[in-house]
Amino acid sequence: MPDWTFLMFLNTDLLVATVRLSTPITLAALGATVCEKAGVVNIAMEGIMIIGAFFAAVTAFYTGNPWLGLAAGVAAGGIYSLIHAVATISLHLDHVVSGAVLNILAFGITRYLMVLFFGHPGTSDAIPSFLGDYQFAVPFLSKIPVLGPVFFNQTPIIYISFFLVIFLSWFLKYTKTGLHIRAAGEHPLALETIGVSVYRIKYLAVFISGLASGLAGAYLSIENNVSFTEGMTNGKGFIALAAMISGGWSALGSFLSALFFGFADALQVRLQIFRVFHVPEELFIIFPYAATIIAVAGLVKRSRPPKADGVDFIIEKENE
Amino acid sequence: MKKGMKLAALVVAAAMILTLASCKKEEKKTEEKKFMAAMATDVGGLGDKSFNDGAHQGLEMVREKLGADIKVVESKQQTDYVPNLIGLAEDGSDIVFAVGFLMEQAVKEAAKNNPDTKFAGIDIWAGDNDPANFMGILYKEHESGYLAGVVAGMMTKEHSSASPRFNDKNVVGVVLGMFIPPVEKFEVGFIQGVKSVNPDCKVLSVTTGSFVDQAKGKEAALAMIEQGADIVFQVAGLTGLGVIQACKEKGVAAIGVDVDQSGVAPDTVLTSAVKQIPQTVFLAVESVKNNTFTGGTKVYGIEDDATGISPFHDFESVVPQAVKEKVAQVAADMKAGKIKIETTRAALGM
Repeated sequence: MPDWTFLMFLNTDLLVATVRLSTPITLAALGATVCEKAGVVNIAMEGIMIIGAFFAAVTAFYTGNPWLGLAAGVAAGGIYSLIHAVATISLHLDHVVSGAVLNILAFGITRYLMVLFFGHPGTSDAIPSFLGDYQFAVPFLSKIPVLGPVFFNQTPIIYISFFLVIFLSWFLKYTKTGLHIRAAGEHPLALETIGVSVYRIKYLAVFISGLASGLAGAYLSIENNVSFTEGMTNGKGFIALAAMISGGWSALGSFLSALFFGFADALQVRLQIFRVFHVPEELFIIFPYAATIIAVAGLVKRSRPPKADGVDFIIEKENE
Repeated sequence: MKKGMKLAALVVAAAMILTLASCKKEEKKTEEKKFMAAMATDVGGLGDKSFNDGAHQGLEMVREKLGADIKVVESKQQTDYVPNLIGLAEDGSDIVFAVGFLMEQAVKEAAKNNPDTKFAGIDIWAGDNDPANFMGILYKEHESGYLAGVVAGMMTKEHSSASPRFNDKNVVGVVLGMFIPPVEKFEVGFIQGVKSVNPDCKVLSVTTGSFVDQAKGKEAALAMIEQGADIVFQVAGLTGLGVIQACKEKGVAAIGVDVDQSGVAPDTVLTSAVKQIPQTVFLAVESVKNNTFTGGTKVYGIEDDATGISPFHDFESVVPQAVKEKVAQVAADMKAGKIKIETTRAALGM
């Protein structure tokens, strides 16, 4: 007769932890979705996130205001992502190569800047005030059992991520710009033919993905925690890619997949605590990653990328 | 044309390197030889709040007390290890420290190629086949863990009324970084310490698999706190900052590791299970200066004051005298060799 007391951990706290762990993945996956909808493959979320995390922490540290940190993290992510835009859209570089370079570059840059701003690499000094202090319970809604604490008693960036899921779903489907973004990824020539600049739309999409990934980084350094640590993204940007793919290149799908990965991570921590299975801890540690592989392998057949995703778009002008 | 440019650039570069090299040599001649101790960090670099910083503090002690010159070189990547170590030896260091388990191969190679310089490695084992000018320095982490466990075991039950940070659930936790021998020794020692004073206490344990994942450290600690843990011991490097943050937010206590981490969150960090890297670095340098240096592995423990727990700081008035006396007594017994502490999970049947 097995000991069933461990089932105690299947509670609301598990779901709250799921949301906390999935938020950075959700944000980066949303960004990647917009980017790929416009036909630009973006694997640089990991690097953009670390840049966002760094500038959010530095700004919050020197100004003492975490909201300015938030703005700085988002802005830094957006600006950094423009390198990807220039490289892939204007200079026609391979999208994956550019993304890989951005990832590697980001870790070097943050290490260098750590020494410049804090006098040492490793981890930054703690910021005086962080966004976790601004946890806000929505009146009435937060009283709903289970769903209340999970969705309506959270910290600012988590609320922003919920809002973005809804907003981007609507934006991509029902607005003119959203339509243009989707057209740029499906049939860019048609878009150009009706007089819309494909380049401009692609730049916009890449920039949005940078803002979202920068926000994901800010979440890690100034909302979930109070300092920046080199490499603190720990592959979340890549899991976001998997969330985007298994979520079928849609905002809502990305969110649900990210929740699934967050759930896998929250669950493995609890399985370790209760030592339900007597196996080496490495098996627990790889659990979220294994879940990622299974989800992508199992769902990828049903999910279709935009037709012109990663395809270079060149307009040849006759006059030149 | 292009080829010509390239050639010219090469020649200029070569000339610059030669000039630089000759400059260096001249400098050396004019300088008077002073006793010098040096260290090369591993990729963690200074600011890791752990062994690199600890070794650096040791060298600062050397400068102060022995009046030696000190030199620190940071390694940016693993391929820097050998050149950094050899470079320090060639600069005239009398002893060169390699800091961290990752530098094992590099420091042994450097020692072999520079037989006139002494080398020492923190957290590195020296075997019989290793050069005689290399000293490995290891610590008995389980002793520090055990003492921290005694404090945690007593505070979480008998003295839980001492502060609102403690509850009556009799649960404590340990968050690990990667599962490697020094981390395992801390954890296993902690569990035995807790059980020695509080056999019924539940000790929860989570391995995060990373030393730099604050988010996961926080999540692991939060999950433990949900289950009633009121003291969480972090053995997870920078991941542990997330652990301390979680304890701070939830109003429970944390125990730091390696160095005295009270400064991270004075109202939250009860004590820290430390290893006195500075002291051992100092001893190694002193042995070189006194010509008593020998190769092989030195294992430092409580009898050398190299392991133990840090002062309680803000918790000085919270921790009752009974606990302080117990800790002192256990430490004395440990020094006298009266306490046998297992060092692996396997030995505990985990």
